[in-house]
Amino acid sequence: MPPYTWRSLVARVRHLWRSSLQLRTVAITVFLSTIAVTIISGYMSISIATNLYEARKSQAIAEARQATVSVQELFDSSVTSNGTIDVETVSVTAATTIRSVASSPGGTQFAILRTPGQTTQVVMTPSNTSGLDVTVISDELRGQVSQERGLLYTQAVSLQNEASDDPGLVVGSVFEVPTAGQYELYLVYNVRDVQQTLDFVQQTLVIGSLLLVATIGLVTYLVTRLAINPVRVAAETAEKLADGQLEERIPVKGQDVIATLARSFNRMADSLQRQITQLAALSRVQQRFVSDVSHELRTPLTTIRLAGDVLYEQRDQFSPTTARTAELLRAQVDRFEVMLADLLEMSRYDAGAVELDTEPTNLVRLVEESLEAIRPLADEKGCELRLVAPGGYFEAEVESRRIRRILQNLLGNAVDHGEGKPIVVYVDSDSEAVAIAVRDFGVGMDAAQLERVFDRFWRADPSRQRTTGGTGLGLAIATEDAQLHGGKIDVWSVPGEGTCFRLTLPREPGAVVDHSPIDLPPVDPLDVVALEAAGGDDDA
Amino acid sequence: MDARILVVDDDAAIAEMIGIVLRGEGFEPHFSYDGPAAIEAFAAVKPDLVLLDLMLPGMDGIEVCTRIRESSGTPIIMLTAKSDSTDVVRGLESGADDYVVKPFNPKELVARIRTRLRPAATSEVERLPIGDLVIDVTGHEVTRGGSPISLTPLEFDLLLALAMKPNQVFTREMLLEQVWGYHYKADTRLVNVHVQRLRAKVEQDPDNPSIVMTVRGVGYRAGAAR
Repeated sequence: MPPYTWRSLVARVRHLWRSSLQLRTVAITVFLSTIAVTIISGYMSISIATNLYEARKSQAIAEARQATVSVQELFDSSVTSNGTIDVETVSVTAATTIRSVASSPGGTQFAILRTPGQTTQVVMTPSNTSGLDVTVISDELRGQVSQERGLLYTQAVSLQNEASDDPGLVVGSVFEVPTAGQYELYLVYNVRDVQQTLDFVQQTLVIGSLLLVATIGLVTYLVTRLAINPVRVAAETAEKLADGQLEERIPVKGQDVIATLARSFNRMADSLQRQITQLAALSRVQQRFVSDVSHELRTPLTTIRLAGDVLYEQRDQFSPTTARTAELLRAQVDRFEVMLADLLEMSRYDAGAVELDTEPTNLVRLVEESLEAIRPLADEKGCELRLVAPGGYFEAEVESRRIRRILQNLLGNAVDHGEGKPIVVYVDSDSEAVAIAVRDFGVGMDAAQLERVFDRFWRADPSRQRTTGGTGLGLAIATEDAQLHGGKIDVWSVPGEGTCFRLTLPREPGAVVDHSPIDLPPVDPLDVVALEAAGGDDDA
Repeated sequence: MDARILVVDDDAAIAEMIGIVLRGEGFEPHFSYDGPAAIEAFAAVKPDLVLLDLMLPGMDGIEVCTRIRESSGTPIIMLTAKSDSTDVVRGLESGADDYVVKPFNPKELVARIRTRLRPAATSEVERLPIGDLVIDVTGHEVTRGGSPISLTPLEFDLLLALAMKPNQVFTREMLLEQVWGYHYKADTRLVNVHVQRLRAKVEQDPDNPSIVMTVRGVGYRAGAAR
């Protein structure tokens, strides 16, 4: 599990990073300002340290120079008139002098060492303050100091203490003890206080830097919040608008660019709402119109229909001309009725006033019923009707009235254009979709015709005698019916080989179908039909 | 005696034409052209059946239907121009037995009228039990514990159809054929609405029916006789 958790954590962070503009802005700002603050405080720290050290060093050198001069004077003046000197006594006095001169903080210690390699009549005992570890004065320094008279040499050293190693500074110079030769004076400064000051400064810098970065982060957060919030509100409002909440608006505050954005956005929303409301009103008017036309036309049509039928029933008593008139009247009233129904249906679809009213329906049974309904017409034309149904034996959630209407249309077309050859209906289903294909082996259509086959009021061959009394709206309505179910109608056709219309519906209402359980054109496992059709053609 | 049929339609032409068709079939048509007149004519003519247009001036067909049902179980067939609207359901719920969609042809209309006027199915037995009810087949009466329940002829037919075959589960299509006389696929809302109306009259607790039982996914059957 851990890898998954880790991965999911990474994924979550990545998602957050990508989705939050604010997080990104704050993070980048904090990162960049951390780098800047680190560089600045690093520079400050180094320069402060250097300055402090240099100041201390120059102070130490000044003191050392003073001390050296004083000691030299002391020794020079201590020479008696007979040219002798009590070096040991003077040495003690010198120690006092040095102490009085070198009084800087840090507990100055000193050492007076004899420059090695001299032979004099008197030798002064080297002395040093107690507690000074003379070994801190390196031979290297001593070498340098003893070489050049009058010059001061400094060296940074580490002073051993009980508690810790303190940084120290050793300043060395030489002086001449009469009769006793050259001696070296070393002043050893403990610069712990400088180090402490430096530590304190650095600590302050670090804390200050952290606080600064935190402040920058906070400020960035607040500022971006200030700037992004209106954008977020705008985004949310746009989302709501898109979801159909047309009343949503962005509150307008002030005169700034955000307010301008809000104002233009609101203006856009206003215009959108106006147009949608207008369209909705138009749609309502359209629906109302459909409904009114429906009622207003249907009542007189019913009267005509009844009258026509009454006349038709009595046509035996009429003269042949009148009888034929009655027949024509009846037939055309029928046709008019179908057309009106189709037009109203189409109009309902155009008005978006169609709702699906599904019930569990066995599609194979529905196909069988539709085949029975078309059989008289097919027999008349000499078309054999076949059903190949490897699947589809389940209760599909469809509106059977609409599916039946689609089937009647497809079967009617197949009979009309089937040239008396067999018509095969395939039904099959898979886990996602169910399909019905109606295949005829008739005249077929060329590419130009195929392109227009679903167009309203389009007929493949206007001169062709039709038996199913089409209005030219049949396939357009069928397409709408299929789309209402979330399905579609495809067509395949080759001139001389026939046509196949395939209806594909999703098993679950509202699901998306991107494939069909039946190939187009369907492949009959036995291909009996195609063979028979070919044979039938030869016979004819 | 010819069956009297009250034709209620505000369009005089269609009313006259329906009258011609009905007379041709041996019925005796009477006419009224608006809602209030229809109520009056109903009381005066005492028709055997009412053909009622849903869209009427003055008082709409739904209300006329409701008013007639308050006092009578006379079969009512609605004439409607809208097959898909809620008007049909509202009409059925207000007590219409059946409906015909304009434009209709004379045969269709006459077939619907004859179905509603034909005598109820005859049965060899005179009394049939269903649930805690007793159907007096010849007397056209339904009683619970001796007190009669008033049903329209259609509701009586529906109940009788179920009671005659107590072991049979009826699909809506079977009931449409047997009770309404439809031999092809018809509107199952007819069955649904009338079962609701029947239950409202005969069930002690219409939400928990014991006489007209629902068989989920199939249809209805009679409750066991007690």
